[in-house]
Amino acid sequence: MKYLNKSVLELHELLKDKKIKPIDLVEEAFANIEENKELNAYITLNKEEAIKQAKELENKEVDNVLFGMPIAIKDNIVTKDLLTTCASHMLENFTPIYDATVIEKIKSKNMIIIGKTNMDEFAMGSTSRTSYFGSPLNPWNKERISGGSSGGSAVTIAARDLPFALGSDTGGSIRQPSSYCGIVGMKPTYGRVSRYGLIAFASSMDQIGPMTKNVYENALLLNAIVGKDNKDLTSANKEAEDFTRLIGKDIKDMKIAVPKYFMSDIVSNEVKLKIEETINLLKNAGAVVDYVDMKYLDQAVTLYQVIALGEASSNLARFDGIRYGFSAENPENIKDVYFKTRQEGFGTEVKRRIMVGAHILSGENAKVYYDKAMSVRAAMRDEFKRIYKDYDLIIGPTATTTAYAQTESLDDPLKSFLDDVLVNPANMAGLPGLNVPVGFDNSNMPIGMHIIGNDFDEARMYQLASYIEKELNLDLTPGGEK
Amino acid sequence: MDDRLSKEEVLHVAELARIAISESELEKYQIQLKQIMDSVDKIKEVEVNDEKMLIANWSEPTKLREDTAGEMLNPKEVIGNAPRHSGNYIEVPVVIGEES
Repeated sequence: MKYLNKSVLELHELLKDKKIKPIDLVEEAFANIEENKELNAYITLNKEEAIKQAKELENKEVDNVLFGMPIAIKDNIVTKDLLTTCASHMLENFTPIYDATVIEKIKSKNMIIIGKTNMDEFAMGSTSRTSYFGSPLNPWNKERISGGSSGGSAVTIAARDLPFALGSDTGGSIRQPSSYCGIVGMKPTYGRVSRYGLIAFASSMDQIGPMTKNVYENALLLNAIVGKDNKDLTSANKEAEDFTRLIGKDIKDMKIAVPKYFMSDIVSNEVKLKIEETINLLKNAGAVVDYVDMKYLDQAVTLYQVIALGEASSNLARFDGIRYGFSAENPENIKDVYFKTRQEGFGTEVKRRIMVGAHILSGENAKVYYDKAMSVRAAMRDEFKRIYKDYDLIIGPTATTTAYAQTESLDDPLKSFLDDVLVNPANMAGLPGLNVPVGFDNSNMPIGMHIIGNDFDEARMYQLASYIEKELNLDLTPGGEK
Repeated sequence: MDDRLSKEEVLHVAELARIAISESELEKYQIQLKQIMDSVDKIKEVEVNDEKMLIANWSEPTKLREDTAGEMLNPKEVIGNAPRHSGNYIEVPVVIGEES
């Protein structure tokens, strides 16, 4: 009997009525993952511990909707006693001694961690092909990329291995692979979710967020992971709220802006057409949709490079071959420990980014590049705030194309940045962003719509996304529903 | 405009980044780093009306937590994660007496 194709609410009822046990879900998840092994979605499986935990739950009261639900965790979120590699040789054998705050939160709901998902090394990339452990494959077409950096999380949800996954998003790393794999992915407002235990890439933009097969279940998982955390002083002091509360509500009179740049010729015709169709759907439902001019969006890549690479070079200085992780053999002196460890431990993409970041922050350059970027960033956020005076939400495509071929070269150092041109403005402005599938291209690859909300307005984003999901009623299971 | 950095320029940023570079990598980075740096350079031309800076989307005043004793990590486990350790110590090559 298969259960995991049911909705989480149905599973919850079955668990409550003792018609199934958590172990049924856990075993099914591992069987699915085994069947989909060639997709390479996982770096580490947590089999023994997950089975043990599921059995322990049999005697506990089913006290919340996430109780006993299997979940996959991106491998840059630290899990106590469970290997956390960041998809890097540098942390290949790293076993954390504490849990990230989000992990403590999902454990307190008695969710069951199934494994750690594949990703771009240190979350740096847009295809998950910079992983030290090989690329995950897109379940819609194994010759195509999954997107990245949260590629493994997107793949395991799209392949219907299990219902829940966590990803992280610094410049689009939840939303872009969600678009390529046809799932729902949310990057919450900066500060909404604690970053404690998320291995830092660019601290002013990193956020953890939920990745699921539908909108409602995404909101359920977000409910569980938000909140102020004394271990992350940038976490926001917000009252708890139910992110499902506006789902299913009418979108009549909702005011939506489409920045013209998001529909310019950087976007493929097939993607643009599908977004236009969806816009018509919203207009027919009584929403007001206007095309608007917004400055600075065309500077997103340059701006992102300065901020992300500068912060990365500083954050990744901690990998020194001394305190944890990989250390090069037979160093002659202390300098050798640093230099050789980092030469051998990091992959090419990571090294490129650290070196450019070090250049950007060195001496006078810090003023020329970083300070300037902080001013452009302020101006970009002001532009967003100007739009939100008149509009509730901003929409556009999530990615300029659908998932492209695995064989496309990785040698172009700018390609991975250009892939995220539509999604990284939300990170720089600290705003929440969400991907919702809106259709397929001629090769049957998923196309996603990007919804950007005002600060802490995630509930309204789910409202719009759920309307689109319900109206389109797409079959989002690769190969059709089973 | 050159399509590559000089070898010295690459070695300089590699030194800043504490990353050793082999002769074969050097040539690749001369071209690739130059491509990214040219892209990064465009930030200089962006016009803004305001010198105001945004370091992160963070509006709440910074507030430190209370200075009270709490749980701490087990030192044995912390040291245990170091690639070279002995007892309660992390091992590193001799530093004192080296020429700087």
